[in-house]
Amino acid sequence: MLHRRIYQFVIVYFLGLAFLLLIKYILNLSDYLIPGPQEIWRTACRVVPRYLFSVMDTLSVAVIGHILSICLATIVGIIGRLTTWVGSFIKVAAYNIQAYPIVAVAPIIFILLGDGLSSRLLIASMICYFPLLLSFVGILSEPVADIEQFYIATKRMNWRLQVKIRAFENITKITTVVVGSATLAMVGTIVAEFIAANAGIGYSIRIALYQSDLAKILVALFLIGTCTSLYLTCLEWIGRLAQKRWSVPRGG
Amino acid sequence: MGMNGAMLLECKDIMFQYPGADTPVFKDLACGLRTPGFHALFGPSGVGKTTLARMIAGEIKGFSGQIASEQMNNILYSYNLERLPGWYSVGDHLAEITPSSNKDKIDDLIGFFGLRACLDSRFAQMSLGQQNRTNLTRYLLQDFDLLIMDESLANVDEVTREQIILKIKEMFPARCFLYISHNVLEVSKFCNQILVLRSVHKTPQAMSVVGQDYTEGKPLKKQDLELTMLEVVHAA
Repeated sequence: MLHRRIYQFVIVYFLGLAFLLLIKYILNLSDYLIPGPQEIWRTACRVVPRYLFSVMDTLSVAVIGHILSICLATIVGIIGRLTTWVGSFIKVAAYNIQAYPIVAVAPIIFILLGDGLSSRLLIASMICYFPLLLSFVGILSEPVADIEQFYIATKRMNWRLQVKIRAFENITKITTVVVGSATLAMVGTIVAEFIAANAGIGYSIRIALYQSDLAKILVALFLIGTCTSLYLTCLEWIGRLAQKRWSVPRGG
Repeated sequence: MGMNGAMLLECKDIMFQYPGADTPVFKDLACGLRTPGFHALFGPSGVGKTTLARMIAGEIKGFSGQIASEQMNNILYSYNLERLPGWYSVGDHLAEITPSSNKDKIDDLIGFFGLRACLDSRFAQMSLGQQNRTNLTRYLLQDFDLLIMDESLANVDEVTREQIILKIKEMFPARCFLYISHNVLEVSKFCNQILVLRSVHKTPQAMSVVGQDYTEGKPLKKQDLELTMLEVVHAA
């Protein structure tokens, strides 16, 4: 799984790089605009240790933001599954708010919270929170009638059991959504760092942009892709483990 | 075929139409069960057997008319497509959901229903017949006054089905069962009272036929059984 994700990313990355170099040589662009392979390599040797630290910083913020979002989406999803007005209100609010681009709110967050960790964490969480919430509300609101019937008829049903049944029956969907939103968490963190933060790989890219140093940006992109692939692989592994533990082959 | 006398369960003047449907499911429906025992709800597909069963169980509301029951506080509705949660083994599930007052019945039912070999299996690993038997077993282990069995033995072979019905009748003589089935022979042979549900355009919409109520050791005349079957088919 890991090697598949990594080599897929490496192929895409080097195809993109080859395309850039092709444009450079066809249009005879200067090294200042698009650096040559040797310059990219030299830059990589110089900045990789520092950038690796920045990417790990970004990844840790993304992971914490992602976990916060999952917890929050689970709590709101549990409330949103209710058939009362509270449940309906949460569902409608979630659908409406998720349609609004969170990045547009980011400057307000930076103004209010400054450019430290809390702003990065909040933006990362918000960007991956709404897709998670929509899926969780959908999954937890959908009755699994053929399992729930017994517990309802015998008056044993409670909210914990209901959530457990619905989550268990949709474990594959939940895994897919969690893995999908992990990319969004990483994107959210980098965007936050790019806008105004004072640390992380997004911040490093912003500095490189001010210096018009494309080589540094290309190295940063390579490290971001590799670390994101590692994180996604890790989540997929956890998801597979959960599915393997719970699901059983069909009989006949 | 009348429905006079004191009723254990009585449905009166039931009118019901699903939202958005063109025709009602029931119009002035009247039917009832007189005594405890193994009874049947019979009728062609789409006539409203499951709807009526769910109304009796209190799962469908918003109908006009009255469903009155005497000494029936605990009505359970079960159907053949139900599943057990996947995180349990069958044995663990049965142990957890059985009230302490009925724990002594677990072993007997598991043995008789042929589930001993499946106790460590998950529900999804079992055959359809085993799944149906497991589902019925867990309902039989509950405290109930009326158990509605909506095609609960649909995937069980005929011989085992007969044995199970006889066992239920032997184990729970004082309880009330309403068995929904399309098998004329089965309902005529084993059921005490057969409620035949008919199309909404027919009057009355429900008829009651007295079944042979066969139990182990009781003589059964072939002629009587055939007569009951004819009555049921004619009523439908």
